[in-house]
Amino acid sequence: MIELIDVKKRFGLKKVLQGVSFNAPRGAITCLTGLNGAGKTTILKAIMGLTPIQSGSIRIDGSAPHQAMYERIVYVSDQLTMPGRMRIADCFAFMQDYYRNWNSERANELLARFQLNAADKVNSLSKGMAAKLNLLMGLAMDADYMLLDEPFSGVDIFSREEIAAVFSSDMVEGRGIILTTHEIKEIEHLLDYVVMLDHGLITKQFASEDMRMEEGKSVVDVMREVYKR
Amino acid sequence: MELLFNNRDPVYLQVVRHFKERIATGKLQSGDTIPSRRELANQLGINPNTAQKAYKEMEEQGLIVTEGNSPSRITSDTIILGRIREELLTEAVDTFLASVNNIEVPAEQLLSLIRTRLEKKQASQSEQDQGEKGVT
Repeated sequence: MIELIDVKKRFGLKKVLQGVSFNAPRGAITCLTGLNGAGKTTILKAIMGLTPIQSGSIRIDGSAPHQAMYERIVYVSDQLTMPGRMRIADCFAFMQDYYRNWNSERANELLARFQLNAADKVNSLSKGMAAKLNLLMGLAMDADYMLLDEPFSGVDIFSREEIAAVFSSDMVEGRGIILTTHEIKEIEHLLDYVVMLDHGLITKQFASEDMRMEEGKSVVDVMREVYKR
Repeated sequence: MELLFNNRDPVYLQVVRHFKERIATGKLQSGDTIPSRRELANQLGINPNTAQKAYKEMEEQGLIVTEGNSPSRITSDTIILGRIREELLTEAVDTFLASVNNIEVPAEQLLSLIRTRLEKKQASQSEQDQGEKGVT
């Protein structure tokens, strides 16, 4: 489980996270929602130790994060970071060389699943294909946790469906997923937990099935209540 | 297997209902094996945890049985299976009654209207069926 306890973060005078606490269990999909600037990406970066926090703590499986632990967590940013001139096959070879936990078999399975061509160069890919390759690079790592920043952003409907299908497959089974998105409509039935952020504060957090069961509300219904005030 | 989810009812209960409908219409029969949780999640595009929860619920209701590592099966308990059809129909009728409650229609009028509409629907359905046969 990834735990955040009263995490605070400032950029200069701007309070980006104002005491954020939530848990993201293993084997579940936790979604961080919020309008732009709510602090979603900062939370993912803070978990990865990519940005220092001022106070509060982050615990992974009960202990403070340390170097070896980061091999068990994959962070997929919202943009593909591979150099444009590389072919997909070159990207795979690079990952194979540099990462112990790169799983070639799974990478190739995903390549077929996403209908990508290993000979294609990164800079020739459409937005949807680039998003799929980006996600593929994360999914192909053997890791217990995956942090996905806006995996659906700017992606066409068909690629979006292909990406959503991954979350109902054995590709994510047993892993803890934290994803950020503001486009929730098509994927809300896939989410276990939802954490709603507004200006660095959590306004609401709940299990989506409980919300439907107890209040008869969809995640989108709750978002409307929370953000349209 | 195709299932469109509404987002306001718990997904796992929608899955259970989907199975009940398939049992009530005879598409799934006593003793039939059903997909594994993982396969079901994949087929329906739902979270594997939700598939797990739906199967647990169906086990508790006695709709399916799972023995050891073999795939889950539809129960052979005919009493349970017989109740499903009744349960689904009662539920649908209750929903309907709730929706006409505000119109304050007398029972006799309502029943005769249902009969008329039903007969009309069946007539147009059989016409359509014949039409389709005519084409082929």
